[in-house]
Amino acid sequence: MDLPWLPLALTLGPTGLWWSHLLVTVGVYALLGLSLNLINGYGRMFSLGHHGFWALGAYAAALFTRSYEGELPGPVLLALSAFFGMGVAALGGLAIGIPCLRLKGDYLAVATLGFAEIVRISIQNLPEGLLGGNIGLSVPRVLMEVEPATRGTFLLAWCAILLACVAVVALLVRNVVRSARGRTLLAVAQDETAAGLLGINPTRAKVATFVLGSALAGLAGALYAHYQGTIAPQEFTFLEMVKMLLVVVLGGLGSISGCLVAAFLLIYIEQALQLAGQETLPLGVPPLPASWTWLAQWWSVVYALILVLLMVFRPRGIFGPRELPEVLRAWWRRRRPGEAAR
Amino acid sequence: MLLDDYLLNGLGLGAIYAFIALGYTMVYGIIRLINFAHGEVFMVGAYLGMFALRDLGLERLPLPQPWPVIVSIVTTLLLAGLGAGLLAVVIERLAYRPVRRAGRIAALLTAVGISLLLQNVMLRVFTATPRAGPVAREWYALDDLPEVAPNDLYVDRLLHLTDGSTAHDTEMVAAQGAALPPQTRERLAAEGEGGLYAKAEFSKREHQVFVLVLLCLFAPALWFLVKRTRMGKAMRAVSEDQDAARLMGIPIDRVVTATFFLGAFVAGVGGVVYSATYGKVEPMLGFLPGIKAFVAAVIGGIGSIPGALLGGLLLGVTEALLPLGLRALGWQEAFGWTDAIAFAFLILVLLVKPTGLLGVPFKEKV
Repeated sequence: MDLPWLPLALTLGPTGLWWSHLLVTVGVYALLGLSLNLINGYGRMFSLGHHGFWALGAYAAALFTRSYEGELPGPVLLALSAFFGMGVAALGGLAIGIPCLRLKGDYLAVATLGFAEIVRISIQNLPEGLLGGNIGLSVPRVLMEVEPATRGTFLLAWCAILLACVAVVALLVRNVVRSARGRTLLAVAQDETAAGLLGINPTRAKVATFVLGSALAGLAGALYAHYQGTIAPQEFTFLEMVKMLLVVVLGGLGSISGCLVAAFLLIYIEQALQLAGQETLPLGVPPLPASWTWLAQWWSVVYALILVLLMVFRPRGIFGPRELPEVLRAWWRRRRPGEAAR
Repeated sequence: MLLDDYLLNGLGLGAIYAFIALGYTMVYGIIRLINFAHGEVFMVGAYLGMFALRDLGLERLPLPQPWPVIVSIVTTLLLAGLGAGLLAVVIERLAYRPVRRAGRIAALLTAVGISLLLQNVMLRVFTATPRAGPVAREWYALDDLPEVAPNDLYVDRLLHLTDGSTAHDTEMVAAQGAALPPQTRERLAAEGEGGLYAKAEFSKREHQVFVLVLLCLFAPALWFLVKRTRMGKAMRAVSEDQDAARLMGIPIDRVVTATFFLGAFVAGVGGVVYSATYGKVEPMLGFLPGIKAFVAAVIGGIGSIPGALLGGLLLGVTEALLPLGLRALGWQEAFGWTDAIAFAFLILVLLVKPTGLLGVPFKEKV
């Protein structure tokens, strides 16, 4: 498939390839963080099963693409399978949300974690012909075949898709929260009983949010599956759930731009550490001594440590529930107190 | 007979769940925190037990036969319990106490982080390779070996590897009920070690009975502690209303610390027995039993000690017998789905009776 930016892709070089892959990964985690933020941040529901919805979306989209491969043009197939993945994840969210959202905080956390475990166990135990079992499932390349020569184009295309999706989803989340329904959700999150007295149906507001969040996680799953080309149940573990939580909490529960910044920071540091001690580095990665490779190996420990330290010292995230412009403005004012007084 | 075995399997597993669930239920009862790291404390207990049993050498005490085994088992359980308890106290002091007033989500996230931290530190330090579980063994000197082997006999050799670490190598020398062949005896003696020992292991069945006996000791003791002692009274007071309890002069922090210690002590003991029963110790060992024990605690009614007992045993037996029944009905792969069944059971119980079987509904404050 010839795309208009093909000449550009050829000049990408190693730096461009590294950054493109980074941005795609950041995009996936930003989508997951944004959708989890809707549930955990704005909705104050405590879901620990987001990786389950992610997996649902990924597997549903993969199955869809596998069965309609070659019958539809690539981009159409990709869009349809993404919608299918979102739909299946939303159904999963509905199935788990209606019964469980009546539960209080921690019970909900365990019930959703249980759900995600059920999803993973099901994938592993269903017949291999259906979902691939432990071996995993390959997803046909719908946009283009990946060869060394076209790798740049492939990465750029995915970069564009992911960035567009993140932008749309960020706007969507912002608008949903600002809408009348979003306000009812915020009211329910603050005080369920009081909101109920105002004539709001708390369960409905919570279920709607939960379903939307699950659907967006499903979108992230669908895109991830098609980008990776293979998916396996071992990729959708509790560690991923903690990563998503970290994205949400680091950026501040209930902050969209914080979520994006946190996703970028986490993935950038993780990927940059992998390059510690290497000679040729992509532009924008500081040269790290080889002795730092231990940090890359201990990275999952560092994740956990960041989470604990963050909770102990800044339980509301680095910036709290504020958006980036607000934070910058406040910082600016503090640096130049005279100006703020004027 | 087969059903018998499955029932014992279920009860043994259920007893382990109950061991972990006791700690969950006590901590949740007092500060409303799901201590996600509890399963990892259980895992650390298993490691401590393994090292204590293997490296302290108490099994080889020069006493008449049943005594070294008894002494080593009791010491191992005590050490693992104390170590796990200490770990939990440190975790509580460093991580949970600062966030106790910061809201439930912050507390829960901290617990998740601690759980992940312990898992990954253990993964890094001890690698993911499973080690042999802490199975108590009867050791005999080569000279005063009984005429007929009371159980399978092994030789245990300590190997010094080139990288400086050590490993154990075992060789079976006589099957149960057979005598040690004279030539083997000569060969072992010729290896130059007069103190060469042989061992007799306990079976999985014996371990399962053992854990049930232990549970029968621990659960009433805990119940007595909570219901009949001063500390227990303080715990119940803190559980009911922290602020009022503080005004009555109850040292909240000390009570919470004591609760964590007790829960972790029991979990540490459970960890040793669990890893002995299933024969391996690995860093991820606590994750699934931990979550399932929480499921058990919820099923029984969280905050209630008899509830943890009932929930644990019920979940264990269900897990053992339900797949058996499903297989009898023609679903051949039922056993792969055991964990999924447990979680589905949880969701079902939460739906029908959110406070569990023996739980008291918490009052909603407006």
